[in-house]
Amino acid sequence: MTGREVVELIKKNIGIPWNENSYRDTFKLGNPDAQVKGIATTVMVTFDMLKRANQAGLNMVISHEDTFWNDRDETKDLTAIPLYKQKTEYVLSHDMIIWRIHDHMHAMRPDFTVVGSLRSVGVKGGEDAVMRPRIYTIPETTFGEFASQVKRLTGSRAFRCVGDPNAKVSKILLGPGYATPRMTTEADVVIGGEQQEADGGFDDVEYVMDAVSLGMAKGLIMLGHVVSEQPGMEDLAKWMRTFIRGVPIEFVPAEEPFWT
Amino acid sequence: MKDKHVSRRRFAVIAGAISAGRIALGKTTTITAEKVIERVKTELGGDWPPAGPDGFKAGEPTTQVTGIATTAMATLEVLKKAAKDGANLVLTFEPTFFGRADGPRRTVTATPGRGGPIGLAPDDPVYQGKQEFIAKNHLVVFRLRDHWQARKQNEMLTGLAESLGWTKYRLKPDDPLYDIPAMSAEETVALIRSKLHLRGGLRAVGDRKARIRRVLLHPGEMTAATMWQRYTDADLIVAGEVREWENTFFAADLHTIGEKPGLVTIGRVASEDPGMRACASWLKTVVKEVPSHWISAGDPYWRAV
Repeated sequence: MTGREVVELIKKNIGIPWNENSYRDTFKLGNPDAQVKGIATTVMVTFDMLKRANQAGLNMVISHEDTFWNDRDETKDLTAIPLYKQKTEYVLSHDMIIWRIHDHMHAMRPDFTVVGSLRSVGVKGGEDAVMRPRIYTIPETTFGEFASQVKRLTGSRAFRCVGDPNAKVSKILLGPGYATPRMTTEADVVIGGEQQEADGGFDDVEYVMDAVSLGMAKGLIMLGHVVSEQPGMEDLAKWMRTFIRGVPIEFVPAEEPFWT
Repeated sequence: MKDKHVSRRRFAVIAGAISAGRIALGKTTTITAEKVIERVKTELGGDWPPAGPDGFKAGEPTTQVTGIATTAMATLEVLKKAAKDGANLVLTFEPTFFGRADGPRRTVTATPGRGGPIGLAPDDPVYQGKQEFIAKNHLVVFRLRDHWQARKQNEMLTGLAESLGWTKYRLKPDDPLYDIPAMSAEETVALIRSKLHLRGGLRAVGDRKARIRRVLLHPGEMTAATMWQRYTDADLIVAGEVREWENTFFAADLHTIGEKPGLVTIGRVASEDPGMRACASWLKTVVKEVPSHWISAGDPYWRAV
């Protein structure tokens, strides 16, 4: 099976019309017509992840995010950068293929990134979740306790919290990656991946700080991009195994990049 | 006890103003918020287009100013502190009302697939509560970003360097590179955390044990393009914030192949706080009728235990 054939099978099974104009969901590197020995799904095709996929004999990488450190994977300003050359040469010399699936994952029903993210923080009932955020109700707890649960369950070292740890919370609103939802009157806790801290479309950080100053029970958890969208890439691998047979399909996690 | 403390502080502010010759005894010096801003505009120069981010955001510009407070972000806590300190004109670097639009009137469209629903309803309870506090305390809030950061002296950078104790280590004027006494990345991070009084906002990427001398300081948001242009000059980049799928993973990949630099993000607001302290110092030279001081917006983040 070639890389192109793998992608054709995904298009056939995804259950939504394929948008050929997506600049994100395309082949990024390698020969699409090369033979696939194994497939690795991942949230972020880091150099470290590429090496682990190659060592596991998985030469096709399906990544949710970009390869060359910018959303459009533009490379014209990178050609003189040694890291760009090394990463590219590594992929080509090991007959690897990189293909991205981003826009279509967020249009899928369910959206595995949301399903996986909800599961990873211990919020139940999100098996059919889509990108449009909705409120999930958890048994009432304090925001600090809930944050501790998130830490225990995700194993994340570096996620950040804003708000009152003693606030009683039960209504959770989650959007992974850069799709951090805006805090609403109904929600107690917003969980996101990353977001511009201020001067953006909606500044959750300041909003939650001020809501707490006004005595409202609010909290914000910024998981980090990889931690928030990673779990869904395991769901993607499972789903692909239902219609792609004959090659191994493994979820290969990207590492949380931070220390604190 | 609390009241005594406040009145003592108020007395100190007034006494300070008198001793600095700002208030002539027996005669009251007055200045309105719009007069202060007029002078700020004249001193900073440039165009002040109505559509730009800089401008009055809340309160009445005709209000008599009792004192000026500068801050990186006019959160309600900062406004409460300003009111307590007797400063009723607040100059903020970042928005007051939760986004670029800085209020419920305008809405901004999200990039498809990137970002959730946005915009602020006029009856939003947090917006209402904040406006009520501002009105009740006769505060005036003015956003000063573009024109302050456009200053040639670049106090947003030098203020941050000063807070870190690195002023004398600057390599060249007009350049954000600092050559600090060598220490490990871990030690540098510990120093940054303690000097800036950070709580949970700092995150680092790269080799903890790397020897750091050249530090590139970048308050606010650092783009991928800036990082690609400058990364070879530094052992460590210290920025406010970045996009993770851009700069963060560029730094992570550099680390994988054993290359420099490391990347430390300290938080957008935390990185802008010192530059607004410098703004208060500058204001004292421009507006002498009333006292000016800085109120730290602080590090918004904490970590789960």
